[in-house]
Amino acid sequence: MEMGDKDKFDLEKRSENHINYHLPGSVPSDWRFSGANIANSSLGLVSTDNQMPVCRGDLVGASCSSASMVDSFSPGVWDHPTNTQNLGFCDINVQHNASTINPIGIRKGGPASLRSGIDKTLDIVWNPPSSQLKGGIFLPTTPGALPQSLSQFPADSAFIERAARFSCFNGGNFSDVVNPLGIPEPMDLYSRGGGMMQVPHEVFAGSGLKSIPGGQGQKNVMNMGDSSKDASLSVEHVATEGSPLKNERRSGSFVRSHDEAKQGGSGNESEETEFSGGGRQEEQSMLEGNGGELSAKSPGSKKRKRNGQDADPYQAKGNQQSIEAAKDNPEVQQKGDENPASTPNKTAGKQGKQGSQASDPPKEEYIHVRARRGQATNSHSLAERVRREKISERMKFLQDLVPGCSKVIGKAVMLDEIINYVQSLQRQVEFLSMKLATVNPRLDFNIEGLHTKDILHSRAVPSSNLAFSPEVPMAYPPFNVSQPGLIQGSFPGMESHSEMLRRAINSQLTPLTGGFKEPTQLPNAWDYELNNVVQMGYATSAPQDSQDINGSLPPGHMKAEL
Amino acid sequence: MTSVHPNSTTTTRFARRFLISLSRMRRPITLGPPSDEEVCRRTRRIKLAAYSSMARAVGSRRAWSRALLLKVRNRVRFQGILRNRFLASKKKRVIKRNKASGEMNKTDMLRKLVPGGETMDICGLLEETAHYMASLATQVKVMQSIVDQYSK
Repeated sequence: MEMGDKDKFDLEKRSENHINYHLPGSVPSDWRFSGANIANSSLGLVSTDNQMPVCRGDLVGASCSSASMVDSFSPGVWDHPTNTQNLGFCDINVQHNASTINPIGIRKGGPASLRSGIDKTLDIVWNPPSSQLKGGIFLPTTPGALPQSLSQFPADSAFIERAARFSCFNGGNFSDVVNPLGIPEPMDLYSRGGGMMQVPHEVFAGSGLKSIPGGQGQKNVMNMGDSSKDASLSVEHVATEGSPLKNERRSGSFVRSHDEAKQGGSGNESEETEFSGGGRQEEQSMLEGNGGELSAKSPGSKKRKRNGQDADPYQAKGNQQSIEAAKDNPEVQQKGDENPASTPNKTAGKQGKQGSQASDPPKEEYIHVRARRGQATNSHSLAERVRREKISERMKFLQDLVPGCSKVIGKAVMLDEIINYVQSLQRQVEFLSMKLATVNPRLDFNIEGLHTKDILHSRAVPSSNLAFSPEVPMAYPPFNVSQPGLIQGSFPGMESHSEMLRRAINSQLTPLTGGFKEPTQLPNAWDYELNNVVQMGYATSAPQDSQDINGSLPPGHMKAEL
Repeated sequence: MTSVHPNSTTTTRFARRFLISLSRMRRPITLGPPSDEEVCRRTRRIKLAAYSSMARAVGSRRAWSRALLLKVRNRVRFQGILRNRFLASKKKRVIKRNKASGEMNKTDMLRKLVPGGETMDICGLLEETAHYMASLATQVKVMQSIVDQYSK
């Protein structure tokens, strides 16, 4: 049922969306009309409607009454934190609608973003717009809520597209509204994920423009988080704090908004409006929390009642707030220093939201890479430079790897060398496998014995120094069992003596072979291991060693030799 | 950038896997010298074993080893089909390669050489190449020493 409501809601929204978006001209009128309606409808709704069906009816009937819609469907998903924000949003809508005086851009922005958010069934998506409407302070809260629904983000492409469209045809105001989306702060928060619940707190506190509002914000976040965890904590939290706080906040925000409205738009005002918005959200989350205590239906009714009670002040506030919101937008822009070019940023931000990881690396690059004097500074050439630097770095790295390539200058030659080297290595592998293929049949009958012998030999020679060589043959007579012997961990006494083993091997090997120095001089650790595995060749005869040295030489040489 | 040198455990793992796969290759015991065809077949098998054991030793950390493992797995799975297809399309492929080799630049050649390199960008390709090269060198060393051991 609730879901059904939601769906209808979504459908309606979507249709409206398209209409609105494609016909920008019609939007303002539509919204104005809606605003007029909603002022009344939402009031009536909230105050009178305690049951879902009624709400739904309103939903269906009044397409524009977003506030009532939100109210009606949010109870269905009470448990989620998103709802708290939905509620908050409802308030915003109410405000919007109530204030028909608002500049069109803002009104458009609010509902539009709302709708775009609604389409996704992601209630959370609304929050950014709502928060932005309220102002910069609220931004941190949205990320706080978002991580919980991070999994849903990939599905937001539609929202992003729509938002982009908005930004395209809506003028300054709306773009401003949307801009905060693209601001790095929330982005980071998103990307960091669920653990972010704490950060918004801090941000709140840090930004704490006013202690009271800051506190409210924190509580807000807390409420959201708690409600996500479902009721129990949040209920206690909120229930205890709930009623007094509510009242206080209501009154406080109300008064503030009044005052500010009278005073006219300044930074403080915007903040305060934001705060009042936060207070409202809080209240509603608290309401939710209270609802959580009780069972499903009754809380909803209660909430609605409360909403209804609140509705008047809200709307009253709403007017002022929306007015202030209009003022806020430029301020928000100012606050968001990162919004120099609004549209690209926006799009980037949204894309980043889509894949938060994807958004981060380019940002970092842009942060890290700085153009030197006389270098081009646009993003493409910066990116290109980064890429070139990466490539050259890797080339240098490869240069060290390829023997006889240290003096080669020029990427093309380097690439040639690399290709030759890889090819030669591959050819070597092929050649060696061919050799193994021809060699094997002779040793076929005792290959397993040989393996065991090899491995045991390779282990036994060093281990003889360690005085547990007698154990080895007994412990690992069959091949399959002896294989683990190659892994040092499987030998009981080995691990502690691995260093000694290596030393022993080296000390043993160097006297045996005169020409062995070259391999040992290689610093690589794996040479030791290789010796461990294969050192029987060294241990047995000197000519073997000469062969092996050849193997380590450039391939052409080895080929000639073999 | 992480170190490209395959560490000791990788080498050990490769050697162990390779020896195991070598020992698993059961072949008919023939007294005379093996025919060319059989040597060829065995060579292929051993080469495959060497590559797959190297890739397995490196694990799925690297793109090239992933690509190689996938190739090996697919090869095992669709062995019959692939062989038939291979035989059928051998002529065509030769012709194509001759045509393409003229205009293929260096990067594409490197892409062809490094397993899974077709889908990488240049940076990733170079990085993978470095690691692949080091692994190949290790492989060659181990195989060389095994060959020495057998042929002594």
